[in-house]
Amino acid sequence: MLSDKRISILIDNMIWVILMVVFTFFVFQSEHFLTERNISNILTAAAVLGVLVIGQTFVLISGNFDLSTESTLGLAALMGLWLIVPAGAPTFGGGVFLNPYLSIAATLATGAAIGYVIGVLITFGRMHNFIVTLAVLLIIRGFMLAFSEGAPVNGFNNPDAEVFYWLGHQTAFVLPGLGKITVAVVATGLLFLIGHFILKHHRFGRELYAIGGNRDAAEAMGINTERRIRQVYMISGLLAALAGWMLAGRVVSIQSNLGEGFIFTVFAGAVIGGVSLQGGRGTMLGALGGVLLLSTIDRGLNLMHVSVFWVKVIQGLIILIAMFLDAQRARLSELNLSKAIEKSKESG
Amino acid sequence: MSYLELKNVKKSFGAINALQGVDFQIGAGEAVGLMGDNGAGKSTLMKIIAGNVQPTSGQIFVDGEDTVFASPLDARKLGIEIVYQDLALCDNLTAAANVFLGRELQAGFGQFHKLSHAAMNRRAAELFAELKSETRPHDLVEQMSGGQRQAVALARTRLSDPKLVLLDEPTAAISVRQVAEVLARIAQLRDTGHAVILVSHRMGDVFEVCDRVAVLRRGRKIADKPIGDTSLEEVTGLITGALEEA
Repeated sequence: MLSDKRISILIDNMIWVILMVVFTFFVFQSEHFLTERNISNILTAAAVLGVLVIGQTFVLISGNFDLSTESTLGLAALMGLWLIVPAGAPTFGGGVFLNPYLSIAATLATGAAIGYVIGVLITFGRMHNFIVTLAVLLIIRGFMLAFSEGAPVNGFNNPDAEVFYWLGHQTAFVLPGLGKITVAVVATGLLFLIGHFILKHHRFGRELYAIGGNRDAAEAMGINTERRIRQVYMISGLLAALAGWMLAGRVVSIQSNLGEGFIFTVFAGAVIGGVSLQGGRGTMLGALGGVLLLSTIDRGLNLMHVSVFWVKVIQGLIILIAMFLDAQRARLSELNLSKAIEKSKESG
Repeated sequence: MSYLELKNVKKSFGAINALQGVDFQIGAGEAVGLMGDNGAGKSTLMKIIAGNVQPTSGQIFVDGEDTVFASPLDARKLGIEIVYQDLALCDNLTAAANVFLGRELQAGFGQFHKLSHAAMNRRAAELFAELKSETRPHDLVEQMSGGQRQAVALARTRLSDPKLVLLDEPTAAISVRQVAEVLARIAQLRDTGHAVILVSHRMGDVFEVCDRVAVLRRGRKIADKPIGDTSLEEVTGLITGALEEA
């Protein structure tokens, strides 16, 4: 019989076991699955999702959540390119002809500013994070539609736009067995490493776990919890903008609905990777496992020619499984606590 | 000279006057029991001394100097440590992480710092050994017994050599054996020159280890006298309101 501690460790690391099982399953289902091209596709598709999940992991561990990132991603991509390309039909551009590097800087700064405003509304405004981030999601999405009137923006044959597309488009190097590794994949990998370091080895990360675990206790220990919450939303906004910049290089033509519905996958990736919606639990490496699993399933089903309708059903089931695992983790924690209290009474 | 002195401290929460002009002082090597019914203002007074809550008016003197605590860190810097009634622990963190929460040991250079996990675990293990607790630094607090949780909260007060230790209901949720250990720890603190304020509903505990007892009722201090000059009956009367003041 496994002890609760071992069950807890098993659940926390279950993602890597599931990933291996799922990966092996697809290898046997499709001869094209274990090809360099497909592995490269899995990693590239995981890059954008990964960047969003890193931001969401910080927010979730602090005991909050951020629904707005998918629209921040869309706005960043749309705004970044709009600042570069010419105005007028057939595409929607600003005619500002901003230097592409400045456009990228403006895009990232806008993402961070959106996150900061959300943080201010939640901490100073004492507003609920669900409502604030949902409202910001709608405001940004509506603004994008109204601003572009539904027209796409693209940078075909525009050398300045090529610079903008670089992050999501360029191959960094080729690895035998893994194929083309894009700059986006390298950047996401580095961000996961930095995120892992911050959560595990830096005071900032330790404070986020404390705030997510028991905010009152964190405050009593002198941690400026409100400041930290504003900072995690700023990081989340910044990373959403970075993901938008990254995605622009893959889709080339940017619609005003870019990123719509992405947020469910982001939450599924984080939670299935062991990051708790209750706050205070989870690791960046687990979140990486969640991202790789979702990307693997997506590509695997695609290669098996599974109907898009069934793909939606399967994605829904994955989210349910993620929630089930999260609930089991929470149940184990409560069980541990009540057992400890019982033990304490008996020893008395 | 008193280590800590409060003069005419008032605290209001909206229309509620939690403290209505409290004077209080405590010197080194002194243990004072702070008693009162629920809502008397004990916890508010403790939180003001620990820097968690700022008084609406009044003055706080530490070593004779007029002081303002903007946060618990300010109080800690001046040697004031507190063990909260709920222990203020994060169940999701390890014992060592809880002990060092807010003042983690770090290594690095310039602006680049990383947590020194090994050093914190080592120091936490030493502190638990001093407290004669079986608590292990790596264990998660959510898997601990009441006594072990208490040890984690007490270990925090030993990170530095505090001048004043505040204990808010430290014996409320632990076994009889563990109560004896906590009282012994309070006596040890007092005998080694530390000032101790003990908030407790358990009158026996206060009479066992304290030199003085102060009683609060409805935000006012209605008694402050040496243990030898009072009795369980008198303190009970003061707490319940049967006696107006003493």
